[in-house]
Amino acid sequence: MRLKRIFSIAWESMRQRKLRAFLTTLGVVIGITAIIGLASLGEGFRVSITERMEQGFELDVLTVIPGSLFAGYRYERFNDTHVENISRIANVSVVTPVMQIGSVTLYNGEKKVTAFVAAAVNFTEFQQVFSDRFEFKDGAMPDPVENDTLIIGYKVNYPNETETAFALPGEKVNMTVNLLKYPFNVNYSFTVAGTLQKGGTAGLTNFDYWVFMPLYTAREIYETNLVDLIFVKVRDPEFSETVADEIEALFPPYQITVLAPITFIQQVDLILGMVQIFLTAIASISLLVAGIGIMNIMTVSVMERTREIGILKAIGAKSRTVLTMFLAESLLIGLVGSLVGVPTGYGLAHVLSYIIARFGTFQPDWLRNPELESATITPVFSWLWVIVAVIFGISICILFGLYPARKAAKLDPVEALRYE
Amino acid sequence: MTALLEAKGLKKTYRMGKVLVPALQGITFDVAEGEFVAVFGPSGSGKSTLLHVLGGLDKPDEGEVSVDGISFSTLNDNALAEVRLRKIGFVFQFFNLLPRLTAVRNVELPLTLADLSEKESIKKAEDMLKLVGLEDRMNHRPSEMSGGEQQRIAIARALINDPKIVLADEPTGNLDTTTGGEIIQLMKRLNKEQGQTFVVVTHDPAIAETVDRILYLKDGTIQKVEKGRRRL
Repeated sequence: MRLKRIFSIAWESMRQRKLRAFLTTLGVVIGITAIIGLASLGEGFRVSITERMEQGFELDVLTVIPGSLFAGYRYERFNDTHVENISRIANVSVVTPVMQIGSVTLYNGEKKVTAFVAAAVNFTEFQQVFSDRFEFKDGAMPDPVENDTLIIGYKVNYPNETETAFALPGEKVNMTVNLLKYPFNVNYSFTVAGTLQKGGTAGLTNFDYWVFMPLYTAREIYETNLVDLIFVKVRDPEFSETVADEIEALFPPYQITVLAPITFIQQVDLILGMVQIFLTAIASISLLVAGIGIMNIMTVSVMERTREIGILKAIGAKSRTVLTMFLAESLLIGLVGSLVGVPTGYGLAHVLSYIIARFGTFQPDWLRNPELESATITPVFSWLWVIVAVIFGISICILFGLYPARKAAKLDPVEALRYE
Repeated sequence: MTALLEAKGLKKTYRMGKVLVPALQGITFDVAEGEFVAVFGPSGSGKSTLLHVLGGLDKPDEGEVSVDGISFSTLNDNALAEVRLRKIGFVFQFFNLLPRLTAVRNVELPLTLADLSEKESIKKAEDMLKLVGLEDRMNHRPSEMSGGEQQRIAIARALINDPKIVLADEPTGNLDTTTGGEIIQLMKRLNKEQGQTFVVVTHDPAIAETVDRILYLKDGTIQKVEKGRRRL
């Protein structure tokens, strides 16, 4: 028998039992809706978290700090040889040392502000490492850099977000060091080169509360060539881990720590992926329930149509033909259910994402960063899932339709004809 | 005349619970091409079982059936289905039409099973319905038709694949005398005009009187064979 006719007969048979076909198909629709809805929302959740983390951490920047969290803090500072050795590692593009001076207070006539971190850096290299972040709100990078050049973070220059700046480009400011990590009493005068753009994003390197001075100036003041941390930029985030390993290999065990943001993000991404699989697996249970519903209905249907099957066999239908006729019905239920379920699933995901954006909060007030826009999750559409969901839906239907269909195909024609 | 259908030593016993019911106890006979044969007997004489075995719906415990030179004992279920489809037409007491299909769809079903295109099979089914006198009932469902009309559809369906032999199980058993008579007339006409071979199982003496040959069946054996009067 031609397959096209088998399907048209199956379709006709479903049309004649509309309510039953509708309810059976509804089960599949709900299953597929749940799977697609949770998967797309879960992926949207993952993407939004990963994006947020990528904004906070430069994935291609490693931070090398002395000491180890687990073996205790043994303070050893880095020298030029260390920097030189790291820069020889393959796939490293820029290595820049940083001297940390700690908290400082700046004076501009009557005005004074506090910067929590004063860093002495090589401006050119530093700008290469943090190319996205080291941008000016006002002023510009001086060329050439003078000994007394000072670049100010946004929050330092605009402490209350008021428009009156603490210092304008070209103004002279004085600095005193608050925490005497390297005891000295600077009364050093700097010329302000400009203010950085507001960073706004959370992460390891939010420069809003920083001020920057040239490294060689700090070296002159402190009379040392040692630095406190080293930023290492790799050619591509994919090299982060291998480069981190090679840097660690340059030092005795536990003497330094290499912070590679990509490893955090990989872990978080892995966890979120597992959560997503878990949610989708739960959603799949509803599809299994739908499958059992199909098996139930089809078994009843085979019993009801026993005589019909007997007639078909008597007039020459092969067992395989009867099997295919019943499987065709299951397949149609699966196909229709999946095709309806996919758009419904994405619709559900969008409704949920709207509800979350409108009413939901992820963070308690004390944890929330007012500078970040409120959380939004955009459901992710993927053709791959559409295909997988449709195939899964149809497979479940065929799998559960197989038992009743085989039962129908195996009926003895004489017995079936006698069935009332 | 060569035998179209040959039955040799057919035996069949049913098990009903713990009781063994012998339905066929050694039946041998031939049917020639173009012949109209009646198997006559009271209920429980094994008529229906015989018909099922002759049509390849049921397998005998012993003995051998062949139709058009094809011996059933060597065939598997699929091959038997193929023989039923191409060589044999069935007519049943309770018509056994598919209630959801229209007359024309019921008649074309065997053609569909035989992989004919929809257009071709509908055309043939319409011609066949004309032949049995139902040209104005083609798109009605069985529930909208009388018993006689339904049995005509069943006959049209049995004939659609141009079978070698039509096996009818009490074709008038569920009809009143007049309608039953019309059905017999139809089968007689098809036998005469088209040379269609019929084997009809019945306990209706009215049929038995009009055929070429009558086999009297009792307790699973053929008691006697008589020439029918064969009148229309």
